[in-house]
Parts: sequence; structure tokens; C-alpha cells
Amino acid sequence: MHYKKLPKEFLEEFINRLRKWGEVHAPQKKGKNTYFFSRLDDPSKVQIDYTRTVIPPTKKYVLRPVEPLMLFHGDRAEEHTLRTTKLVLFGVHACDINALKILDRVYLSEPRDPYYEIRRKNIVIIGISCMPDDYCFCKSMGTDYAMSGFDLFLHELRDGYLIRVGSPMGHEITWNISDILEEVSEEDIEYLKKFEKQRLSSFKRHVDISAMPDILDLAYNSRVWERYSERCLGCGNCTLVCPTCRCFETYDVWLSVNTSMRVRRYDSCFMVSHGLVAGGHNFRPTRLDRFRHRYYCKSYFDPIHGINCVGCGRCDEFCPAGIKHIEVLNEVIGEIYGR
Amino acid sequence: MKLKMAIFELTGCGGCELTFIMLNEKLEDILELYDIAHFKMISSKEDLHKYDVAVVAGSVSTERDLKVLESARKKSRILLALGTCAVHGGPQSLILDEDLEGALAEIYGKKVPKEMKIFAGTPISEYVKVDVEIPGCPPESNDLFQALVDLAHGVVPYKWDYPVCLECKINETECVLVKRGIPCLGPITLGGCNAVCINLGIGCIGCRGPLPEDVNIPSEYEILKSLGISEKTIKRKLRMFSKRVSLNDHEKNLYK
Repeated sequence: MHYKKLPKEFLEEFINRLRKWGEVHAPQKKGKNTYFFSRLDDPSKVQIDYTRTVIPPTKKYVLRPVEPLMLFHGDRAEEHTLRTTKLVLFGVHACDINALKILDRVYLSEPRDPYYEIRRKNIVIIGISCMPDDYCFCKSMGTDYAMSGFDLFLHELRDGYLIRVGSPMGHEITWNISDILEEVSEEDIEYLKKFEKQRLSSFKRHVDISAMPDILDLAYNSRVWERYSERCLGCGNCTLVCPTCRCFETYDVWLSVNTSMRVRRYDSCFMVSHGLVAGGHNFRPTRLDRFRHRYYCKSYFDPIHGINCVGCGRCDEFCPAGIKHIEVLNEVIGEIYGR
Repeated sequence: MKLKMAIFELTGCGGCELTFIMLNEKLEDILELYDIAHFKMISSKEDLHKYDVAVVAGSVSTERDLKVLESARKKSRILLALGTCAVHGGPQSLILDEDLEGALAEIYGKKVPKEMKIFAGTPISEYVKVDVEIPGCPPESNDLFQALVDLAHGVVPYKWDYPVCLECKINETECVLVKRGIPCLGPITLGGCNAVCINLGIGCIGCRGPLPEDVNIPSEYEILKSLGISEKTIKRKLRMFSKRVSLNDHEKNLYK
């Protein structure tokens, strides 16, 4: 990999230069401590030390929360013209970058999703290092470090950022802005080592996922699911903010008497109607079914490709009932293997 | 040929019927599809024959309400309950049948007029079969528009079942419950309002009523209690708009 250094005083300049490759979107703050990705007009507004956004940036920009698909005029159907802007996502965390790889696998496999694909192709990803907070458990999931899936990745140094270049686009950018970049010194590498050591020892939540598929196979009737599903509100917050949850609902809305629009919108497997199929059968009729389903979807269904969870901690941070993903899994694991 | 529609008003504030008028330019679309045969708020003209669609707003709180409702049901092919009072009973359903006498005495003193035949506010579905329900206090006029156009095209209006939280998350609004400790009924309340109150930093008061199928009242109760809110306040909060949140059933679960 290729490494460069961005001195701290050039951070805003760096962000402004990125505009050459697209509209810059970055973490910003709203309310007391809520972060969200949005267009960054003033580089000083960037929340570089943000914990996590509500909707993960990687999901938000490739799979829009609400998007029109088709227009119907009487009997005539017309595909909605897909217009897309080139975007630079500045300040994406490693967990979200790793989550995007999971979404790519789903949406870019045949049949490819054209809406996803065109947006995906027009996104430049600039990652940034972070320190775990009380909710993070990405280390347990092996997603706390991004080795690919970004164009540039910034690691905090005392007086700047160490930049890892992860793609041809990344090379193009660093080559174009070489006047504000420096070479990495031994001192910088020492700082990086120290930072990484501190980062890795700061995790407060852990789970051992080595035997997860087996454990979940054996734990289907565990009382743990039942106990937690009694507390679960079934509100779906955990799935909406999840960087790998990708279910959507498709529905039509009338615009006038004879014109309508087909829309898709984020959906959640916690909705009763999510498991409803033709004929009125519901294959997840109870809250227990729906609650358990989420854990199996995150940790079980796709063992070959790994686990569908990147440990970003959003589900825990936004659960009104205070249910903690890792706590549930650890109880299940403890029950089966006493681990 | 246009369909015939009637709008009936039972006990309520009149806001739901106003929602129809507030369709504004979309009202023209509706008038392309429907003839309005009966709607006291806009015309004293009365056509008491058969209707394709009868829209009923308000709860059943008087004997007159019940007569109007039964006649609307008999004369219509499709009956649509509009607003939280019609769907869930509304704030007037806070008073239970057994407390009614005391409540009347409190308001009218000893001289309760004999001709007042009043009962506790009740959702209309407790008396007649309801085909379509559009809750909300007031309901979203677009929900009414979608349902009326659907019905005119022979489509069964979709029955949503997602909570306020869904749109709140899509808006990336700061969660008032989790982040600020403000009581919010969003997780158990039917969405569709675009989480308008939470966008303004106010907790959801549950005006669209509870989720239609699976609603975990005991868990919401525990969450509100952990915020230091008194039991009495929580109960009133939960029951404010909906008679369907049965406190008796729910208390059984609470203290088991």
C-alpha cells in the first residue's frame, strides 16, 4: 500500500480540494449528540471525532431511504430517470466501509440493482480512524480495520493524518494534491502504532463468534430469545440504523386521479407485514419469531461469506428498550457451550 | 360514473372532517371521482339514499351518534373510519363507562339533563363493521386522499403497520427518548405522520393510536417508568387517544 501524510493545518484545504471529485458529504452534528452525513459546505463544520451516524453513510448513499422507481400515467409506465451526483464521502469509519462490502455482495450480484449500482460507481470513500466508545464491538467481528473498500483512509497522527491509498482513484487524488502532502516519517509510524494499540485495548464489549453458526443451529429454542423478545418493542430501530440491513418495501402512491408513483423505502423485519405473503400466510407471526430472526440474519444465514454484522453498535445505541446485541448473543453462547 | 360519498360526523372536534376540505387542490381530483351526497360541514343539502363510500369521523358517545353510525353502515358499501376518535375512541374515551356518572356530575352538577343519553367514547368498530381505518389526530389528508383514490379504482387501501420510529430514523432526527430522556410513544404508535413532533424535539404523544397488531405496552411502560415518570401519568399518557390500549389487560402483564 502507498502511504502519505496530510499535515493538520491542511485538513480544511484537503476537504475543499476533494470537491474536484464530487460533492463532499461528511459527518455533522444535530441536537445534543446525534450525527448524520450530509453535504458539507463549510469544512469547519465537519465532526471529525463523531461516534456514529444514525443512518450509516455507506448505506444511505447507495440505497436511498426513500426513492421513486416508476411513474404511471393511466396505462403507461415509465421508469424514473435516475440522476446521480458524484459524491465524496469524507470520514467513513472502518465498520461502515466493511458493511458496504456486504451490501455490494447482495446488490451487485445478479440480478444487479441498477439504482444501487449507478450510485455505488459514483462514490469516492475517504475513511477515517476512530476510538471505540461504549457501544463498539467491531473488533470481535473482525471489521475494526479496513484493508480495502476505500479510496483513501486517514489515520490520526499528533500533527496530521497518515493516509493509506486504497485504489487507483485514491492515487489520482493524492497525485493531484501532492503539494499539501508530505512523506510519512518514522515518528509518524510510531504514533500510529501507539494509536492502534490504544484503540485495540479500548473495546468494552466482546463476543466470540468462532462457533456462531453451530451455536445458533442448536439455540433455536433457547429461552434467551423469548426473554428478550418480551422486552423488545418491535419498533425496528435496530434494523433501520443497521449498516447491513437492506430490506425495502415497495408501494404505490397516487399523485393525482390517474397518475401514481412506485416508491421504495427502508423496511424492517420487525414489522408484522414483513413476513406476510400471498394468501395471507405470515411466516414470522410472533414477536419472538421476528426478534430471533434478526439475530439469525445477522449471524447465521450466510456463514460462507461471514457474519452480516460489523459491530458498529448502532442497534444498541438506538434501542429504546436498551437491548444489547452482544449481551443477547453472549447469553445464547453461554447457554450452549458455556463459553 | 362518479361514486357517491357521504361524510358523517359523530362526537369529535371536527378536525377530521376539516382534513377532507384541507385536501385543497387535491379536492378537485376527489371531485372527479366522487359526488358528495352528504356533508354537513360544507352543505345543508342532504341525500339520505345509498352511498358507495361513507366516511365516519368521531367516536360513538351519544345515542344520536349510534343512530347516525348504524344508518351510515346500512346505506353504504364501504365504511371508512376517519381519525383517531372513530378508530380508537379518542381522548373522550379516557372516561370509562363506570366513571361516566361521576364525570357528568362533575361537569353539570346535580342537574344532568335527562335527555342527554351519553356513554363513554367508543371506537365505531365496536358497533359496526369498518372497512378502512385512517387514524390520526388529525389524520393526514394525504392518507385520506390515497384511500379515496384507491377505493375509486377498486384497490384495497394498504394497511400500514410501521411505528413513528421508522420515519424518524429515515429523517435522522435526534431520538428524544434515547438521547434526551424525553417520554416518547413513537415505538408503539402507528407511523405515517413523518414523525412531525419528534422533528420539532417533542416526544410522540401517540395521537395516531397504537400499532395495529403487535404492540408491546408493558415494555413501553417500563421505559417511561425508568425516566422517573409517575405510574398515573404513564397510564394517562398511554390511554390518551386510544380505548384499544386496555389498561386492565396491560396491568395484568405488567405485574406478573
